[in-house]
Amino acid sequence: MFKFSSASFCLRGTKTLLVFALFSASTAALAFDNFKGVGRPATPAEVKAWDIDVRPDFKGLPKGSGSVEQGQELFEAKCASCHGTFGESNEVFTPLVGGTTKDDMKTGRVKGLSSGELPQRTTFTKVATISTVFDYIQRAMPWTAPKSLKPDEVYAILAYMLNLSEMVPADFVLSDKNIAEVQKLLPNRNGMTTEHGMWPGAPAKKGGIGNGGVPDTANKACMKNCKQEVQIGSTLPEYARTAHGELAEQNRSFGPVRGTRTLGPEAAKKAADAGTLELATKSGCMACHGIKSKIVGPGYNEVVARYAGQTDAEARLIGKVKAGGQGVWGSVPMPPNAHLKDEDVKTLVQWILSGAK
Amino acid sequence: MANPMKIRAANKDGVTEVKVLISHEMETGQRKDAAGALVPAWFITELTAKHNDKLVLSSEFGPSVSKNPYLAFRFKGGAKGDKIIVSWKDNKGDSRTDEAAIG
Repeated sequence: MFKFSSASFCLRGTKTLLVFALFSASTAALAFDNFKGVGRPATPAEVKAWDIDVRPDFKGLPKGSGSVEQGQELFEAKCASCHGTFGESNEVFTPLVGGTTKDDMKTGRVKGLSSGELPQRTTFTKVATISTVFDYIQRAMPWTAPKSLKPDEVYAILAYMLNLSEMVPADFVLSDKNIAEVQKLLPNRNGMTTEHGMWPGAPAKKGGIGNGGVPDTANKACMKNCKQEVQIGSTLPEYARTAHGELAEQNRSFGPVRGTRTLGPEAAKKAADAGTLELATKSGCMACHGIKSKIVGPGYNEVVARYAGQTDAEARLIGKVKAGGQGVWGSVPMPPNAHLKDEDVKTLVQWILSGAK
Repeated sequence: MANPMKIRAANKDGVTEVKVLISHEMETGQRKDAAGALVPAWFITELTAKHNDKLVLSSEFGPSVSKNPYLAFRFKGGAKGDKIIVSWKDNKGDSRTDEAAIG
């Protein structure tokens, strides 16, 4: 029963979005005739909030502009702690910038990718559409506060990155008017192919974007003597289940993908008591800190161990959470969190010092 | 002539932090190319940094430093608008000097 209703929900969600895209708001109710009593149409405001994608033809691109100089300041404040001042850092993520040449900008194909000269790939050696970078920054960055950047700020940060990759001069102002010009300079703009089965339609040579529907895999539909039911070939043996601790805690704590609980029902019960954990997740802490494991920053168990027995630990940690810091746990800095409420920071620090359960 | 360095310098609480991204091949002289011939060594041997006219960093580089190296250092003093001048020399006799203002 549960399965059925969740499947129909998905289907309906898709239909609603389609209808909105094609005919705009008023006709949405029509799509629900087959699913009476289940769910409701998305409101125009909800659709607007979801509909933030920027496409390669720049559909969905917000109006705005930003200069390299503004971008440099924003980048230093919001991006450099993980990506490095020049987008060069390999410490947390692969570098954003580097590996592209003036020649690549002419050919639209990064030579280093095929010649093997590149010590490492970077964002700008790979990406074929500048809209993707804009979309990604707007959607997912900064890591601890996604969707917090205004369009002008995204333009500015992107302008700074373009300047770092020597595509535009230092006095450049990027805007919705000239972003198409930048696309024509992108070093790997000709590096993407859609001629495979994931894309629909006729082959590219015939004006389509797919390969004519030829699958990429060699699987064949079974027509006779087929297996009657799914057989599980192997499972994690009981003695190995706890070999890596609680798997559920090692996956991200938001989104649809969770690890299985490996430490048994007792651990599962503890996890249910997770009010403060939710606050920590919402505040962005869990993006970099694990409860029992280091992610980018130290695990909370390590924090507790280091500050054990220090009476002023709470006050000091509250200060550190708010101001950010670097050096105590290695060179990756923690960004300042001035936007959090004082009482929330206090709750979080007390939770961490009491063992973060 | 090599590509310019990228230099950023910022003063905070009386300490200036300088970050430099250098564009250089930094070939060790140990690697072989596709034909099996040694790729000749080509790396920075010396790097200096000045705050206006005063030398604040003098260093010897070698073949163990990566391609396009990143360098960060701090020194006491410095004020907004002061010049930071970074220069390097490599083993082929090439050199490069770039400057930036403390922001």
